Amino acid sequence: MVNSSLSCRRLAALTSTAVLLQIIGLSLFVIGFFPVKPSVPGVSGPESYRMPTCEDLMEAENENLLPDQLAKIYTDLSQIPSEFDRLIFMVIDGLPAEFLLGRDGWPPEKFFADPMPYTQSLLSERRAIAYHAKAAPPTVTMPRLKAMVSGSIGGYLDVAFNFHTQAFLEDNLLDQFQLIGRNMVMFGDDTWIKLFPGLFKRYDGVNSFYVKDTIEVDFNVSRHLEVELVATDWKLMILHYLGLDHAGHIGGRHSSLMASKLKEMDDTIRLIHTQNPLKGDEYGRRTLLVVVSDHGMTERGNHGGSSYEETDSLALFVDLRAESPTYAPSMDTEVFQVDITPTLALLFGVPIPKNSFGILLMQACNSLTDEHKLRALELNSWQLLRLLQVHLPRLLCQSLRDSTGDDQVLQSNENFGNIKLKLHNLYSKAWAAHSVWKLFSGDSNLTSNNSANLNAATESYYDFLRYGSEWLKHRSTDKPIWWILTGVVILFLSSVLLLCLLFLRIKDHDFERKFSSSLRNCSHIGQLDMAFVSFGTLLHIFSLGSSSMVEEEQYTWHFLTSTLCLILFFMTIQSFLKENKTFPFEMKSEKKLDFDQSQKTHISAFTSIKHMTLLKPLSACGQISSILIVLICGRVLRGWHQGGVNWAHLPDISKWLDHGSSSIMKTLEITSLLIVIILSVFSLNLIMLRARCVLIASLGVVVLGFLVLLHIMEKQTANRSTSIAPIFYFSSGVIMFGTFIFSPWILPLCHHENILMKKSSNSHSSAVKSEDVLFGIQKSLYLTGVMYASSWCLLQLLLQQPVNAVPILLIFVQIMACIIYFSANGLYHRQFIEVAAMHFLGMAGHFSLGNSNTLATIDVAGAFIGISSRSMVFPCILMFIITFSSPILSYLSMVVSISLKDIVSLSPSDEPDLGHVLEVMIVFPCLLPLVLNSAVLTTSTIILLLMRNHLFVWSVFSPKYLYVCAETVSVYVGLFVVSATVLYTCAVFFFRAKMLLRSAD
Amino acid sequence: MKFLTMLQSSASISFSEINIVRKAALHLLCSLSLVAACWIAFRLYSWSLVTHTSETLGLLLIIQAPVVIGVYSLVRQDAQKTSYWRAVARGILGLPAGALVMAFGAIVLGAPIGSRYLKSTIYWSILMSLFTFVPPACFFGSSRVDWHRLLAHFRPKEPLDALVSLPAYGSVVGAWIGAWPMPLDWERPWQEWPICVTYGAVTGYLIGTLASSIVVLFQRPAHIKGD
Repeated sequence: MVNSSLSCRRLAALTSTAVLLQIIGLSLFVIGFFPVKPSVPGVSGPESYRMPTCEDLMEAENENLLPDQLAKIYTDLSQIPSEFDRLIFMVIDGLPAEFLLGRDGWPPEKFFADPMPYTQSLLSERRAIAYHAKAAPPTVTMPRLKAMVSGSIGGYLDVAFNFHTQAFLEDNLLDQFQLIGRNMVMFGDDTWIKLFPGLFKRYDGVNSFYVKDTIEVDFNVSRHLEVELVATDWKLMILHYLGLDHAGHIGGRHSSLMASKLKEMDDTIRLIHTQNPLKGDEYGRRTLLVVVSDHGMTERGNHGGSSYEETDSLALFVDLRAESPTYAPSMDTEVFQVDITPTLALLFGVPIPKNSFGILLMQACNSLTDEHKLRALELNSWQLLRLLQVHLPRLLCQSLRDSTGDDQVLQSNENFGNIKLKLHNLYSKAWAAHSVWKLFSGDSNLTSNNSANLNAATESYYDFLRYGSEWLKHRSTDKPIWWILTGVVILFLSSVLLLCLLFLRIKDHDFERKFSSSLRNCSHIGQLDMAFVSFGTLLHIFSLGSSSMVEEEQYTWHFLTSTLCLILFFMTIQSFLKENKTFPFEMKSEKKLDFDQSQKTHISAFTSIKHMTLLKPLSACGQISSILIVLICGRVLRGWHQGGVNWAHLPDISKWLDHGSSSIMKTLEITSLLIVIILSVFSLNLIMLRARCVLIASLGVVVLGFLVLLHIMEKQTANRSTSIAPIFYFSSGVIMFGTFIFSPWILPLCHHENILMKKSSNSHSSAVKSEDVLFGIQKSLYLTGVMYASSWCLLQLLLQQPVNAVPILLIFVQIMACIIYFSANGLYHRQFIEVAAMHFLGMAGHFSLGNSNTLATIDVAGAFIGISSRSMVFPCILMFIITFSSPILSYLSMVVSISLKDIVSLSPSDEPDLGHVLEVMIVFPCLLPLVLNSAVLTTSTIILLLMRNHLFVWSVFSPKYLYVCAETVSVYVGLFVVSATVLYTCAVFFFRAKMLLRSAD
Repeated sequence: MKFLTMLQSSASISFSEINIVRKAALHLLCSLSLVAACWIAFRLYSWSLVTHTSETLGLLLIIQAPVVIGVYSLVRQDAQKTSYWRAVARGILGLPAGALVMAFGAIVLGAPIGSRYLKSTIYWSILMSLFTFVPPACFFGSSRVDWHRLLAHFRPKEPLDALVSLPAYGSVVGAWIGAWPMPLDWERPWQEWPICVTYGAVTGYLIGTLASSIVVLFQRPAHIKGD
């Protein structure tokens, strides 16, 4: 009877098309924008000791030399005697250089310096040199290890591959060592073994994902030292200590575990340094100890982003043989992590890996003579030139050799527009300065004058190297433009399609409303909430273009959500005023009231049944108080985690609790658990159902709650609890799935005996029947929805950090209060607002659980609760569940909100068909979050594209984009569950009704 | 000075019947007193909102409150039934009530809670109450019909509604917009609570008064036609 321009089936088909388009567009864009690696294939060989010429792009000699021969060739060609023979490469995961070197010229904090007396003494005695080695974001272990051994900065999405490591195929130090026949051993993080399978002679890998463990991981490394330090068969030993990173993840920088961990690291360094067999053998060869960290950590011990605290990693070179001070005093020098690669390559006489952007660390090569130092710089420049030639063909094809002479050296460094020309000039300047130095160094009379030439040559080499390296770093974000553009266009199309669907739907819906009820109060304020949702979404979208607004997105969401709630509050007060006002003199409003009355009586025919089954409609006071609950909970949530970047240091409740005693935390945790259980059981009992079903469901909730309680208690006593969590996962899965499957079958098609009796007498039986089916659907959905929401909350109480227990409760209360508020007037026309409000609440809750738009706030420790297998799939899923708990909770709760809609009075026909009921129920809850999310997704895609050269593209916009992608996944998952539940429940009930009719016939 | 202006306006109004143009002129008075208060704060005490937040807000209150209450009570709707002082009393009662609502709104929207901000939050909410709650309290009293009409329609139904509703909406919207720069990392002193919100509110209020003056002056003929 309704002139619906879109049938249910077409709507579903179009929506799925749009979603599919979105997925395709997103994948195209992600693949295009985050290139896996813009690397040059091949391995540096002997040719790297020759000067690159104009056409030597493809002159790799494929000679099958024996390792020893190759090593000899390298030594001869390089003209640098390899100073060191053996390398101990000690990686301390997550150690910020600040702990050892201090920051901004200040000495390190006492808390960090005191546990490391030996290392500090090495530095002060100038027997070691240390740098702040700036790591490139993302500051996660695997990309950083790759950067240190290959000298190149990997693609951003390496972070995604961090969970299933693949062999490293690029040219790197370890493969170079292997080529010249050095034996290698490795103890520690098994990422190394995955990166370099089959390369190590002996190894013992420990898994980096057991974050709770800080003792065993390091013991498993150190126990090898005693044997390995006296062994003579290895030339490279890698030690990767994970304990410090784990200690940080557990308790932050100032955790009680930190001091003992630092002490342990210091003892290891002392042990290695005092080990006699390493002091050198009869040939005068020595061992070099390099202590590095892959990344730093934030104050709370997380990493992944690009703040100073996270990127501030360490590079410490300790000359093990030196009796006397070798190095310059350690200053507050900042270098790049990739610089470690060429330095080690040159010190150990192997070619610099092909893709290295690194620059030689001159002070670490202090044992070399001036001549060798310049030679090392020359080799580094040649390698960089070769890499530059790949990106800038015909770089050196101008006549380089002609441009010699002193005038070139003295020529001022003009700002050349052309990069090629500039690089060419910088290089020729350096080359010329080097030649001048060589010329003078032959002449002994002029040696005094020559130190100036040495400095000039060094400086000009560094000028070239720095410029080239900088340029390459920017260049490495080169992208296949067509993929990206296609992706963006497809994304845009899909969101336009979704938006059109939504508009058509709203139009249809308005039409329907006009048609079905003559009552329509078209005051301007009636549309205020709707207008605000659109306006707020637009504001949020625009705010994504500003990096500081992205960093502080939690304020935006809280502000928008609270404003929406205040508007609803305002509107409720307004309707409250309207209900009580009397206009004896106005005819119009009397008419209106009449309509109101008639509508009410019309509905009351149904509500006579409705009162028995579903929630009673609330009074205005109830509505006002529920919206007040939402507002106040929202404010408490905002104060729980300060969040963001700029104001993260300000005091908030979570910091206060962290500093407080653990008993308060435990009490809060248990209290919120109990309240969640009570609320769930209470809301299950709100509807009048067959008592047995409710009893079983309540029992399920109580059992789950008891498991969580056990888990919390166990966590307090022992540090590890793995026994309860798997049981919980299993039972919650069974309970959720069981409710989903069985509730539509078990719940009664209510009063059907009565109906059957009526059927004989009453001709309107089929109408009454259809109502019963609808009520059955509603009740079943309500039961399923409440079970979903409460099990999800309990799961979160188990998984989240203890400090987040109360926020979970508050979000649950907020969403329930929101549902109750909207169910109060039971009218269909507010479903748009309801869905939007729940989406907003979900997003605001996401940030109030301590999440932010940096990767550092992802709770890695929580992802390993109750996981015993070595598979990486479960931790990934758990991490997703923890991070997006709040949005998914809001989507799951939509099942409850759908069930409380008054579909009976809204179903326009007496004999509802499945399609129409579905249309009434799930179109808005599915379409609106998709539209809102696609708007954000498309906008952030376009913004990321526009900002690709922005300073913060890798630190702010890219992490945000990853979050948006994950959020899209959460929307898909949540809406899939909602639509599957509704579809299944409706289908089962209609089937049962049919069967019943058939049997009655 | 404020007393003088009050007397003047009371004199001018009491002579003749309440006139639309005069009602529009009261906006001018309120706006002027606001500007004057800012000027006094700046000139006499060399305070500005950024350096002496709570002091400046307090001064604004002391000057603005009598003006607003006095002026709006003069033009009260039910002038025949209620006396001038009754309207003034309504305004004085409305002041803390409105301040409570405003403070609640601000805190819910994320205003910081803490002893450091307590004073300025209180002053700010009283100021907002002066912009929003006090005028209708003086103007309408507790007439539910009028209050509802005021709340229910952004576009004023009766020309005189604009007198109180537009500045009020203007200041609320202005304050809302003014809060947006607060989380940004520009490190400007005015990003503190409640400085930029006050700027936004005052700007919104001034725009609102201007708009309502225009509406009151020009919509009158249309209203007559409607009748």
